[in-house]
Amino acid sequence: MENSSENKNPVYKDQNYGQYREMLFTYDEKGNFQNSVGYHGEPDRVVLQQAWDLFAERIEEARKKVLAGKASPIMYYMEKILADPLSLSMMAGVSLISVKLHCKPFFFKHLGDKTLAKYAGAFNITVEQLKKFE
Amino acid sequence: MDSKPIMINYTHRQAGHCESGATSNLFNFYGYKMSEPMAFGIGTGIYFSYLPFLKLMFAPMMSFRNLPNTVFHRSMKYLGVDGTVIKKFSNERESMEALDRNLEKGIPTGLQVGVFNLTFFPPEYRMHYNMHNLVVFGREGNLYHVSDTVMEHPQTITYDDLVRVRWAKGAFAPKGKMYWINSIPKELDIRNGVQQGIKKSVYEMTKVPFWLIGIKGMRVMARDIKKWPKKHGNQKAAFYLGQILRMAEDFGTGGAGFRYIFGSFLKESGETFNNKELLEAADLMGRTANKWREFTYLGARNCKNRSSQPVEDYVTLGDMMLEIAGMEEQVFKKIEKVTV
Repeated sequence: MENSSENKNPVYKDQNYGQYREMLFTYDEKGNFQNSVGYHGEPDRVVLQQAWDLFAERIEEARKKVLAGKASPIMYYMEKILADPLSLSMMAGVSLISVKLHCKPFFFKHLGDKTLAKYAGAFNITVEQLKKFE
Repeated sequence: MDSKPIMINYTHRQAGHCESGATSNLFNFYGYKMSEPMAFGIGTGIYFSYLPFLKLMFAPMMSFRNLPNTVFHRSMKYLGVDGTVIKKFSNERESMEALDRNLEKGIPTGLQVGVFNLTFFPPEYRMHYNMHNLVVFGREGNLYHVSDTVMEHPQTITYDDLVRVRWAKGAFAPKGKMYWINSIPKELDIRNGVQQGIKKSVYEMTKVPFWLIGIKGMRVMARDIKKWPKKHGNQKAAFYLGQILRMAEDFGTGGAGFRYIFGSFLKESGETFNNKELLEAADLMGRTANKWREFTYLGARNCKNRSSQPVEDYVTLGDMMLEIAGMEEQVFKKIEKVTV
């Protein structure tokens, strides 16, 4: 169970990045291009780590906001799938302005099941999970 | 779900770039030996665009690669190979049935997929990026055998997961796009292909009349890099810089935003046709790519220690980007008038 939920929401904060071997090219002094399969270097890992740290931060922030009643669960799940309002509106098929409004608890309370189902499909969860936050 | 297992004798080879890797593997399947850089060059995979008004993963969007399916489509066109591209399907079932029919005929089929829900993909790369390519070459019941050139070995994926990635939503949604080669003529006019590929690359990197595409875009980005710390503060500037580096180095580019692969293409075609100018251009491209890597090393220091004063000055980094743009311009000036 733990594993499957991790698969759906890939936030891997403590992961040691760059465990996968990839094809990397180099160019040496003699003018030869070489390709070899290897691990990413230190700088590449640093920039990946940076991105995932920021995502984890944003998710945590959204969670706190929802628990404090300042935002709706849609905000939290949107951060969880690493989307912004524009891309969520594309994924769920809801207009951009509606997505922004539905992030507020007042508008979220009045949402019908039809729209909730659209969001749930985009988040890959059930409507009940979306309604009952944590 | 009922049919017997199908397994096409398809050789998986790892590659730097997903689409040119898939294209060269497909060529090899039909008995024509083609290296990955060659497919990349002829299909004009090299590109640059900087679109600061669009945000990808909360940072300005930039792309080092061409639009999806350009490499495959152009290499088909320039080499005169009979290939088919189905741009979109009306629904999910239809797209999967078309794939199954192809597999039964013994045709390995390339697909455009989104990365976010791709189960076998390295978890740290699973962001919303819908321009990835893979080749399906077998089916056993509910499992599909998949050759993804970013991975070291062939992988398997279930029916439901494959549907989800083929119908990923968002910018550049794949909509079930698939492509394959029907047949390859015995004699391929590589010379013509290389010539046309170079011509198109030069056009796209230097002559597109839009200020954010090609070398011009790199210059605009260099100017913006200098402004970031003042405009957005240190932390955000470091994240934006990280976006450039992520796009250039990670995500299966073979390093330095495909510049190594393009240089390798210039070198290979220069050797094949005994062309001195191309070899010189290849050398310059290689040095440009090394410069890109140097840029990554310097930039990553800022990304590592984000909160305090930046380690490297953003003005220096911006100047470095200008220098890279100048070097790339020289390369494309050099190969502009080459007749292979």
